[in-house]
Amino acid sequence: MLEILSYIAMGASWTVAITLGSAAVGMALGAPLLVLSTSKFAAVRGIYSAIVHVVRGVPTLVWLFIAYFGVGQLGLTLSPVMASMLALSIIATAYMAEIYRGGLQAIPSGQWEAAGALNLDRFSTLRFVISPQVFRAASPSVATQIIGLLKDSALVSTVGVADLVFRAGVMTQYHADGLYMFGFAGLIYLLLSLPIAIFSRKIHTRIKRKYVIA
Amino acid sequence: MSNSQLSLQDIARKEEDSSMDTSFVSISGLSKSFGEHKAVNDVSMSVAKGEVVSIIGPSGAGKSSFIRCLNLLEVPEQGTLRIGTEKIRFDEGVPGRVAVRSLRQKTGMVFQSFNLFPHFTALKNVALPQMRVHKRSKQEAESRAMEELRRVGLESKANAYPSQCSGGQQQRIAIARALAMDPQLMLFDEPTSGLDPEIGAEILQVMRQLADDDMTMLVVTHEMEFARHVSNQVVVMVDGSIIEKGSPEHIMTAPSHERTQKFLSAVLGR
Amino acid sequence: MTDMTWLYDWPQYIPDLLPGLWKAMTLTAISCFFGYLIGMVLALLVETPRAWVRYVALSIVEIGRGVPILVLLFVFYQGLPQAGVLLDPYPAAVLALILSAAGYSSEMIRAGLNSVPRGQSEAANSLSLSVMDNYRFVLIPQAARISIPPLVNLTIIMFQATSLATVITVPEIMQFAGIMGSATFEYMSIYIAAAVIYLCITIPGGVLSSYLEQRMGAPKKRSTRQVLLAQFRKPLGATNNKSHSASGRM
Repeated sequence: MLEILSYIAMGASWTVAITLGSAAVGMALGAPLLVLSTSKFAAVRGIYSAIVHVVRGVPTLVWLFIAYFGVGQLGLTLSPVMASMLALSIIATAYMAEIYRGGLQAIPSGQWEAAGALNLDRFSTLRFVISPQVFRAASPSVATQIIGLLKDSALVSTVGVADLVFRAGVMTQYHADGLYMFGFAGLIYLLLSLPIAIFSRKIHTRIKRKYVIA
Repeated sequence: MSNSQLSLQDIARKEEDSSMDTSFVSISGLSKSFGEHKAVNDVSMSVAKGEVVSIIGPSGAGKSSFIRCLNLLEVPEQGTLRIGTEKIRFDEGVPGRVAVRSLRQKTGMVFQSFNLFPHFTALKNVALPQMRVHKRSKQEAESRAMEELRRVGLESKANAYPSQCSGGQQQRIAIARALAMDPQLMLFDEPTSGLDPEIGAEILQVMRQLADDDMTMLVVTHEMEFARHVSNQVVVMVDGSIIEKGSPEHIMTAPSHERTQKFLSAVLGR
Repeated sequence: MTDMTWLYDWPQYIPDLLPGLWKAMTLTAISCFFGYLIGMVLALLVETPRAWVRYVALSIVEIGRGVPILVLLFVFYQGLPQAGVLLDPYPAAVLALILSAAGYSSEMIRAGLNSVPRGQSEAANSLSLSVMDNYRFVLIPQAARISIPPLVNLTIIMFQATSLATVITVPEIMQFAGIMGSATFEYMSIYIAAAVIYLCITIPGGVLSSYLEQRMGAPKKRSTRQVLLAQFRKPLGATNNKSHSASGRM
């Protein structure tokens, strides 16, 4: 039994890798995407809106299948892992951009005014005044989103990535006892989300102690 | 015809005009509208160096909008503004970045809601703008910051975050932050309006000292005692226009305009 | 050389996918109806003083929220037989989705209930209103303001989650898409058609959700564009028209 469980548990490496990988891309590319929403051209803002609504309006599984089966049909074969990373990264980017947007709106206009009155240049204002506050305001949502990505990563098993769910499925085929197999996989997902939740709570209390988010 | 950068013509005009008017700050025909509503209506006034001017009047009179025009937080549509040798004409379009920055170099503003940066300590709040704008070194900026904090009586709070300070302390930190930038003109937009009267007194004390140190100050305020005893000039604004201006004795004790009388009796006669 | 016919080819596959849409919608409706009901119960149970009830409720919520829906689907379909319960795909999917919906909705309902100021219940008590009446007339109407927009959002998300039921062979949209795909190999067109069908529900749903948020929730702040533009177009710090009217100063 132990070998079976450890076989399943090893799938966690793919789960974690894909989660953190797509989260990193999402957090990095979310900011440039957000900039689109501020353009003076209505068309560009429309593009941002369209991207976000379409990406979030179509189920993750559909995007995954488009990336794997759809793109594969076109002749460009992506490995299961690459297709998964592509699909999940794009989804993560759209969600992170919206989270940043929320954080930005939470900043009182007085902060911009004070920076302007002090003659701080645009770059300094964004770097020293605004971004730290956006980070602090958005952190809880970012953490929740990462946990969401963790759960979404389970879908990659459907295109053949050997993650937790995939391996649990394989073991069920050979040994039945699906309740234990998938139950165990489920438990590991819960355990994996704990460090993220704890870390996020720590950051949040640290922030709260220092200052009250306006 | 809209020209958004300082052109050679503007620079020439600057030199030409400054010889005609000897005051330090000169405002002429300033107008600012928000949509339909004309908040500042053809306002003109001047301020001498070292003078303390109080701007009083009922709520909604446009006092805040007016003072915010002076450091371009609001951009007026008409009029001219001159601080020292820096002159901007608003009829020619939105002022360019160079003009704005050079004007703001001369002014410091204190807000009703303090607007301290919540994620920085008091020291860093006062030091950072110096480092980024005046390019002072960290040591220079911090020692100057300590000086200013000492000046407002808050050196003990240098390493505290705004959330750990009372309202009065936060406002004093905000004053220190503005002073550290070496402004020639300090603008106060209702600095004590959000505070308890006792706490407000702390702030007014600091402002009194600044006045004694010959700082040129424009203060939008409801504090009539300050207006009477500390300012050299009192300006009364109602519905976007100046209806009366003069010395505190004149305005506060024997105003000419009946609207002023009405306002003062409501405010003082309680 | 890629064949780009899929860009305009996809509409032909839509009619064949529509039966799946109906299935997906009924699945969503049933799961959300029972799921939210259970979620409401869980929201209350999580606050009881009785420890063991609290822990059980909390566990159910954490499992519903923390375990991927895919895993839940497999547990109910391939796992229960081990315990002697053999379920058809559709019922298994219903149960899995109910559990998930219950977990998420209980948190939203709890947030709504907690957002009602304590003073309200205190007033109700002083007026001798019964506990039931307190909930019915005082708490729930006020909590609903806060909870309903997220619940509407959750329903849209649950609709999207029905796509996962394909892995346990429920005949919803993705199942039909998969079958057609393995027959024709026109995966791109087919999955794009599927995506479009989902969008036809989620986008109007999103509009409804925004509308409800505006009517029920906090007043809409300035859009991101206004916030940033005010800074980048005008001198740094200068504001647009009414942006500081909230502070009431002039």
